[in-house]
Amino acid sequence: MDDKIKMKVQELLQSGKIKGFLGLRERHGQVGPYLFTDGDDLEGLVVGDRFKPGDSRYPLNKQLMKITRGDPSGCYGVLVRGCDERGLKTLFGSGQIKSEQVVPVGIACPQDLADACECLKPYPDERVAGEAAEPRSFATVAKVEAMELDERFRLWLAEFSKCIKCYGCRNICPMCYCSECTLENKDFGDIGSLPAENPVFHLTRAIHMAGRCIDCGLCNEVCPADIPLRTLYKKIADIVEEEFHCRPGYGSPETPPGLNIRGEELKH
Amino acid sequence: MQYPPNLRVVRVMCSGMVSPDLILRVLSKGADGVLVVGCHLGECHYLEGNLMAAKRVAMLKKLLAFSGIDPGRLRVDWLSSAEAPTFVRVATEFIEEIRALGPSPLRVKA
Repeated sequence: MDDKIKMKVQELLQSGKIKGFLGLRERHGQVGPYLFTDGDDLEGLVVGDRFKPGDSRYPLNKQLMKITRGDPSGCYGVLVRGCDERGLKTLFGSGQIKSEQVVPVGIACPQDLADACECLKPYPDERVAGEAAEPRSFATVAKVEAMELDERFRLWLAEFSKCIKCYGCRNICPMCYCSECTLENKDFGDIGSLPAENPVFHLTRAIHMAGRCIDCGLCNEVCPADIPLRTLYKKIADIVEEEFHCRPGYGSPETPPGLNIRGEELKH
Repeated sequence: MQYPPNLRVVRVMCSGMVSPDLILRVLSKGADGVLVVGCHLGECHYLEGNLMAAKRVAMLKKLLAFSGIDPGRLRVDWLSSAEAPTFVRVATEFIEEIRALGPSPLRVKA
């Protein structure tokens, strides 16, 4: 998979179509984001499958936002999986990145990663390497929904009580681009005090993920307390679909989550 | 004519500015329920403020249910400022519903 990507990136860089390629580089046993600018020097370019598929991913779109803001006329390539592509579309729709500044280089995730992620679309529309895996439905959400109300409350309270308020879930999130964050607003919570105001601290973040979360699962991976945040955000994406008839990242980038609500029949 | 005394009224310019964050904050600070009252649908001075409120409350209700908080603790209703008797009825009804649900689980934590 790495070789196909390298060839594509080399071609793009040498043709001058892109100024740089934002991908992952393995160096001294560590995988991190890196902007490749020389087509002849793609030493260490990897797709993030170190010990098992997708075990070293990174919110590249977050870096891409910074790069394209710093250079508003440059065009950059970026490594995308299915989730990253959904993220890109949503960021295009909300005006955070201009689509003409980005050339996505897609890879499809293998089936075992798609299974672990319960991913609805484990492949980008256009892919350079990999075979499209079968989509999976949200079994973790269904499991919580099968519980009684008080059982759910106990479950989430137990999970949330592990929170050390490190803000890791927010910091890693490729869709968290606000310059001011409610979670750091003293009118909405006690900043810097533990325990976090549970469950409201996490529910606030969850409601802010509405129309944004593209289900990349980095929040789950980064959480030092192993809180299953992804399940909560998967549910909020389901809710957005029920209410707004669209799921962020799955439609065309021109239509951000339907805020065209005038004239729509409302049930309450 | 009197509305129940255990209801704390917070006036806002438009139901559209009642963000889910505020509702969650109120619940975390010990309220047993939150009643969002806006103008009749289609009669918004700001064109679509109450439509936004309707969507937000609907979403938040589903999230509350998923996280184990009874969605009945949150209610939305549409009234004009000339409908005082209806407000009293809605408020009384809501208080009765909340009383039946008991104290909020967010409040009884240690």
